[in-house]
Amino acid sequence: MTTVAVNVLQYLLLVLGAPVLRALIARVKALIQRRQGSNLWRPYADLLKLFRKEDLVPPTSSPLFRFAPMMLTASTFVAAALVPTVYQSALLGFAGDFIVLVYVLALGRFFMGLGALDGSSSFAGMGASREAMISALAEAPLLLGLIAVAILARQGNIVEIVRWTLKQNFFDVSAVHAVAFAALAMVAIAETGRMPVDNPTTHLELTMIHEAMVLEYSGPSLALIEWTQAVKLNVVLSLLIGLFAPWGMATSLTFAGLALGLSAYLLKLVVLAIVIAVLESSIAKLRMYMVPEFLGIATALGALAVVFTALMRR
Amino acid sequence: MVLVDLAASKALGSAAVLLFLTVLMLAAAKRMSTSIVAFALQSAVLAAQVLAVARIHGSTESYVIGALVILIKVLGIPYALFRLVDKLQAPHDVKLSLSPVYSVFITAGLIFLSFTAVHTYVQELRVSEDVLAAAVALILSGAFLMVSHGKALMQIIALLVLENGIFLAALITTFGMPMIIEIGVFFDLVMGVLLMGIFAFRIRDTFEHLDVSKLRRLRG
Repeated sequence: MTTVAVNVLQYLLLVLGAPVLRALIARVKALIQRRQGSNLWRPYADLLKLFRKEDLVPPTSSPLFRFAPMMLTASTFVAAALVPTVYQSALLGFAGDFIVLVYVLALGRFFMGLGALDGSSSFAGMGASREAMISALAEAPLLLGLIAVAILARQGNIVEIVRWTLKQNFFDVSAVHAVAFAALAMVAIAETGRMPVDNPTTHLELTMIHEAMVLEYSGPSLALIEWTQAVKLNVVLSLLIGLFAPWGMATSLTFAGLALGLSAYLLKLVVLAIVIAVLESSIAKLRMYMVPEFLGIATALGALAVVFTALMRR
Repeated sequence: MVLVDLAASKALGSAAVLLFLTVLMLAAAKRMSTSIVAFALQSAVLAAQVLAVARIHGSTESYVIGALVILIKVLGIPYALFRLVDKLQAPHDVKLSLSPVYSVFITAGLIFLSFTAVHTYVQELRVSEDVLAAAVALILSGAFLMVSHGKALMQIIALLVLENGIFLAALITTFGMPMIIEIGVFFDLVMGVLLMGIFAFRIRDTFEHLDVSKLRRLRG
């Protein structure tokens, strides 16, 4: 019973706390640019405002246009329930393995692309085709990196992999982990539309990828998309933390254990947010034609990680 | 102290992983500065390994060598290379002759090759397979960097990577060579970088570029 309660709580933390993480990255970036930056709670006000507004739909579009953001939100929220954060279990931990996670996320992206095309704006269509290309290229390294870790743990379920990693010694980190982490970190950047691949704060439609795709959306639909984007970033970062640095995560349901797990998790998230902000401030966006190269390197690293699992068998 | 001992005993094995990452980073790097930083990181990992060996075997000589590695390879040579890039005013890209994706794939293949190459010697070694494989991988990838990059400065870095590999192989098979030999090797290295730096200047002055692949026309 308590396990379920803790699972629900950590799931709510992941889903409801996600906008703060995005605001934190924006805040650190603002500080680096010597601006004051906006309040950390600002995204909630934005979301509330958008939820209250009218949902404008292009006259040429079909019902799919309204349906797509809901599908995106639903699938991403399901994916969020597969990832353990504070305590070593997840709400839907029993329901599926890492392949489910990858393709549930892909399902949401697929519907979002359809919705963008349905809006019949030329920029949105361009954004959709770009996003489709990137997600097709990012799928291989994502799966390869996860497969490598799964082979090491002899488990397919993400919760089980995290439990296995928790039992390992920090110093016994193998080449598989290092290489798979490099691959998955590169994929995480591409999947969440962060800097070298996509610029989340751009104002020029020609350089947008994700932002171009949602150009036609407004009101509650836009709020859902923005919220989901934040949740997705949080899910991907939590997945990286869980797979490669879960140490500190609560293994028992005691108050002290959970408090330690919570503080360790939040600390790791803050560190990752600062790393992302510094990275985004120090590098320029890649040209569109360089993205396949970027993800090609990630694929090479993912393949290397899988091959390494055969060597590391001891 | 117990913790330091534990870290030292583990460092020898885990450091190999970081060496693989620096090798891959060098293969994927597109700018001179990235390559130089990757080389400095690689040397830092090497220094940590020397110090770990010194800690485990309690030899003062190894501490001195570790300090020398930090002084020369982690700080001195990267600084000199940065100066060189600055002074030469050459374009920052590394003139990779094939796409970085293939470069990373080939380097991954070389790492795999080095694992299979050292497989037969594992029984006679006291350290784990990874470290010897890392040494061989450094040597191979140094050679690969040398042929895949067209820029004279990159070939300096490639040679240094190759030397790092030989140094690591010597370290883990002998657990510290005599001091005089190590100092000789370091002297060689510094002289080599100095000479190659001068060469780079001469190449630039004569041909107005640093592209080694265009030097073929020199044949008589």
